[in-house]
Amino acid sequence: MLHTVTIRPEVPTSIALVDCVSFYASAERVFDPSLRDRPIVVLSNNDGCVVAADPLAKQMDPEIMGKPWFKVESWCRARGVSARSSNYELYGSLSARVATILSRFSAWQEVYSIDESFLQLRGTPEDLEVLGHEIRSTVMRLTGVPVRVAIGPTKTLAKVAALGIKKSPAMNGVLDLGRYPAEQLDRILASIPVQDLWGVAGRTTKRLAPMDIHTAKDLRDADAKWIRKCFSVVMERTILELRGIKCIELELQPPTAKDQLIFSRSFAKKLTDPDDMAQVLSIYAQRVSARLRSQGSVAGHLSAWASTGWADEGTVAHSAHVAVPLPNPSDDPITLTKAARALLPELFPVPGIRYARAGVVLTDLRAADGTQVLPLFQPEFEGRGVGQVLDAINRKLGGQAVGVGLGGLKTPQSWEMKRAMLSKRCTTNWDELPVAVA
Amino acid sequence: MRAVPVAPLVPDQPVMLPFAPEAVQCGFPSPAQDYFSGDLDLAEHLIRDRVSTYIWRAAGDSMINAGIHDGDLLLVDRGITPVAGHIVIAVIDAEYAVKRLDLVQGRPVLRSENPAYPDLTLHELSELTIWGVVTWVLHKTDVSRPTYASHRDDPTRSSDLHRTR
Repeated sequence: MLHTVTIRPEVPTSIALVDCVSFYASAERVFDPSLRDRPIVVLSNNDGCVVAADPLAKQMDPEIMGKPWFKVESWCRARGVSARSSNYELYGSLSARVATILSRFSAWQEVYSIDESFLQLRGTPEDLEVLGHEIRSTVMRLTGVPVRVAIGPTKTLAKVAALGIKKSPAMNGVLDLGRYPAEQLDRILASIPVQDLWGVAGRTTKRLAPMDIHTAKDLRDADAKWIRKCFSVVMERTILELRGIKCIELELQPPTAKDQLIFSRSFAKKLTDPDDMAQVLSIYAQRVSARLRSQGSVAGHLSAWASTGWADEGTVAHSAHVAVPLPNPSDDPITLTKAARALLPELFPVPGIRYARAGVVLTDLRAADGTQVLPLFQPEFEGRGVGQVLDAINRKLGGQAVGVGLGGLKTPQSWEMKRAMLSKRCTTNWDELPVAVA
Repeated sequence: MRAVPVAPLVPDQPVMLPFAPEAVQCGFPSPAQDYFSGDLDLAEHLIRDRVSTYIWRAAGDSMINAGIHDGDLLLVDRGITPVAGHIVIAVIDAEYAVKRLDLVQGRPVLRSENPAYPDLTLHELSELTIWGVVTWVLHKTDVSRPTYASHRDDPTRSSDLHRTR
């Protein structure tokens, strides 16, 4: 009797980019049936400008993204465009749910941003198309958030597929580039301007044009080694990825940047003077802000606390804590110092308190390059690199050679973020649960 | 590039009563030591799938005979396909309502569980949107002023925590 051995040809792995359609706007619709089929925009912190718009609103004004709210407010009201303040609690909760659902479809997942994940999938183009639609319907059913599934042999080609989906509604939100024969893929890449490619910076386009590289196809067919010499290894990788060779691996591990930074200390001697406490908070805020800059992050939230130790004989036990949302996420030592000083009015409710410890905690950390603040909404000292200068001096002279002095600080302003059109934080706050009429 | 933390629906740490059978070691070791593997976690019992479960609040008394009181918490699971007999969150006139789903000659009917409220039959061409299926009703008892005798014969008070059908 013969033993038969079936050798299955290795099915190549593909990369799927799953992204949420107009995520903030879609998230607002989940718990608000009045927004169904209505155009909607979402505003940045302090209701500054438009940071998200659904396809209907973008259709009415393709340039709406980034416009200041005070300029478009009356236009929106007249045209029936709903507006909402950013509800980051809701978006974070729904984003985490979507990411968890996606992890059920693949053991290899990179959560790329609040509304995008890369997944590694395996299967024939027919399998993947079916799987793509299943991913889409499952996320919609469990969260109410619409997603697109763009599939290609590499991350860069998955991003190309995502461009294709956005252009043609007939795709129904799923596209696998693997199903196209070579000639058709050529035509697709030839139709994509090179600056639309993932990983190609806008300013390099000017240098590519004289080399007669205008489209994604031109770049794919260029000499990779030569391009590497003229530009960088990043551009060479883009070329190889366009040819279907995986060069940019999925980052399965979360990045090493910490998502919370703490600076807290016990004092050498107990502090009884409000001026001393002000100095401590100022120093601690600057120390933690240096750590923040060294990992390349900005913080959206600061909290500060102080407490007495084990109660001394005859003294009052006390602890105080403040949470300060930062209107514009920042790594600026002056901004963070000012925020930490919000603790001062909470201290010394009665005389004779002896504080033993204090600390400053930064949370809501994000990459510094990902946040663009319009100069209009920026405190005047920000964007001047005060933190970087302090860091450079301290590196050169060692220790804490220089810092921002207490004397030059303004009185703390109110840090309450303006969110006048905030929807309910339906999934994160017991007092704001969605209500069903019984 | 950053990882988005996966926020749990309810705090991931179950609320535990302190119980450490191995703490006191005078004489025999506790015979229970090998059997203790953690206290009951209510969330684990109530929630089939955290990512598809949402907590809602009921407002009104149209579902009183299904044990849903004004102000009760509802656990709503979007992962369950609604069928006739389920209590559901449905969209009625751009508003969310909790009703019992029924089918009459193939057409969906949203029934109230209170004779004072009418059933809602959907017109042939209008589309019914079901947001999710109610799996549990959480009703807080009157711990501040117990009125046990008056509620003894009231069938709706027989259980304060019950799975919906």
